[in-house]
Amino acid sequence: MGERTVIPFGPQHPVLPEPIHIDLVVEDEHVVEAIPSFGFIHRGLEKLVEKKDFHEFTYVAERVCGICSYIHGMGYCQAVETVMNIQIPPRAKWLRTFWCELSRAHSHLLWAGLLADAFGFENLFMQCWRIRETVLDVIEETTGGRVIFGSAKIGGVRRDVDNDTLKRCAVKIASAAAEFEELKKVFRDDYSVKQRLCGIGMLSRDDAWTLGAVGPTLRGSGVRTDTRLEGYAAYNELKIEPIVETACDSYARCMVRMHEVTQSFDLIQEIAARTPEGPVFEKPSGYPNGEYFARLEQPRGEVIYYVKGNGTKNLSRFRVRTPTFANIPPLLHMLQGCELADVGLIVLTIDPCISCAER
Amino acid sequence: MKPLAMTKLSLKSLFKAPATVAYPAIPREYFTGTRGRILIEPSTCNLCVICDVRCPTKAIKVDRKGQTWTIDRLRCIQCGACIEACPRKCLSNENRYSDPVTHKETLTVPIPFVPPAPKPKPATSAAAPTPAPAPAATPENSDAKDRPV
Amino acid sequence: MSFLKRSPWIVHYDGASCNGCDIEVLACLTPRYDVERFGVVNTGNPKHADILLITGYINEQSQPVVKAIYEQMPEPRVVVAVGICATSGGIFRECYNTKGGVDSTIPVDVYVPGCAARPESIIDGVVKAIAVLEEKHLAMKKARAAS
Repeated sequence: MGERTVIPFGPQHPVLPEPIHIDLVVEDEHVVEAIPSFGFIHRGLEKLVEKKDFHEFTYVAERVCGICSYIHGMGYCQAVETVMNIQIPPRAKWLRTFWCELSRAHSHLLWAGLLADAFGFENLFMQCWRIRETVLDVIEETTGGRVIFGSAKIGGVRRDVDNDTLKRCAVKIASAAAEFEELKKVFRDDYSVKQRLCGIGMLSRDDAWTLGAVGPTLRGSGVRTDTRLEGYAAYNELKIEPIVETACDSYARCMVRMHEVTQSFDLIQEIAARTPEGPVFEKPSGYPNGEYFARLEQPRGEVIYYVKGNGTKNLSRFRVRTPTFANIPPLLHMLQGCELADVGLIVLTIDPCISCAER
Repeated sequence: MKPLAMTKLSLKSLFKAPATVAYPAIPREYFTGTRGRILIEPSTCNLCVICDVRCPTKAIKVDRKGQTWTIDRLRCIQCGACIEACPRKCLSNENRYSDPVTHKETLTVPIPFVPPAPKPKPATSAAAPTPAPAPAATPENSDAKDRPV
Repeated sequence: MSFLKRSPWIVHYDGASCNGCDIEVLACLTPRYDVERFGVVNTGNPKHADILLITGYINEQSQPVVKAIYEQMPEPRVVVAVGICATSGGIFRECYNTKGGVDSTIPVDVYVPGCAARPESIIDGVVKAIAVLEEKHLAMKKARAAS
């Protein structure tokens, strides 16, 4: 029995670009308890809904998080549209799905790079981010922004993408997908990757379910769930099979994300081929009155938007329950008993997005 | 388990063209649709103040009396709300951002707009301070030329 | 790039941003943009750094952290505010938790516009910061010679 020591982790830490602070109670080399503290990037943007027009708030909603920005903007729009009873045109639905999948691919590639960096595989980190740049190029070409897409709008999408561009983007994505397959082999087979990930950060199926994990963290523990099956946007016309791994460790979570990138690339091809013609925007009229919960699948898991309108131009309440927020209790559970050197890695395996969690 | 998966990948990239772009030496070609800084065409603007009202960050200030349109480039988030709202379509996106600066400053563009004169009496007084002639070197383009390398 | 005499080291801190600018700062280090070809190295230790890149605005809780990082950096030091949030508070300016841009807490030398700032803008900003660093270095030398 060694002496107990408290080691602070963060807020400014080389492993994570974002500030998170965890007090690690350590006994010898093993973590006994992890106590998080938050608020370094709390912005209080939910309160901003009282000051901004509900159309204008789309720009704020997109900036809940810069990595999955489009899905945030779209989730907000979807919630308001349901309250206002607007049917958006089919082409807008398909374009939304297109951008959702692009942002999933770019987010997972980003995460894969950070993970490789966290276990000291610099070369793999660079390769992941190289492929990600191709995805970002497609995003920039179709929406005009690299990370903040700025193309969500209540009643549809803000800009149309002509079919030639869609086809051209599909070709670019196909080349990125081919390169990614080689990378995936490295993640699947490489000795050093397996050495660092297998058996680390165990989260059993029951624990994951009880502690309320979402997204790849939950699917990596063997629970078959995916909010895309709800069939929002154009997902009801696409065939989606949730990717489930049963090993319950960091490696399983990594592989879930790897397979999801492939799945996203395939979906992008399908969407580019199947997007119907038509208008992309329907002008909404009136003000939202009523409340709604919208559920969407983000790269990190299920995200929930609650919107309550009172018939004026300002909404009376807006609330986001982001996936990282839901994944923090499972993370603290995983950290108990792990070795100090693995802390950075385990924190990364839930794909933390602190600015989402703190809003 | 294949032990040389990464080695294969690394060796391959030895024979590929470099992924790096020589950015400051070779300027970047942006996509046509890229959202960048906001430009104004002063000759068509009618000082309607809609862009001022719609801007989510209050980066645009329109002075109707002084006949100027002012933008704080360090506040503009390139969302394009003003462009969508502009009834005369005088605002547009350039496809690149403005350059980094060492001091905060705003850009003021004089607007040579003559308000239509429904009543003859105030019209003479309004037209008297001669509307600034259409600026030869449009100020919003002036900072495009001296791009540091 | 011949005017580059030094290889400045960078420390990056995320004040309270949406992540967009942070990942663009990271993207600068990766193959497409690769700022390491200018000798720019991202370090985690403020005592090794010449340039402080801050993304996002300052809030109540991050203010002491930013101050601490700034004070730990050796002279001459340059602060670069990356992104609209860092320069002026941006879209979150009206939030109850904002203190404003980075210049509300520490002096800022270079402002990089953009939401989110593009890697190209960040490279331009860093190049400008290097020029400022050089100036500060000369001023320090002069002051030392005078005393």
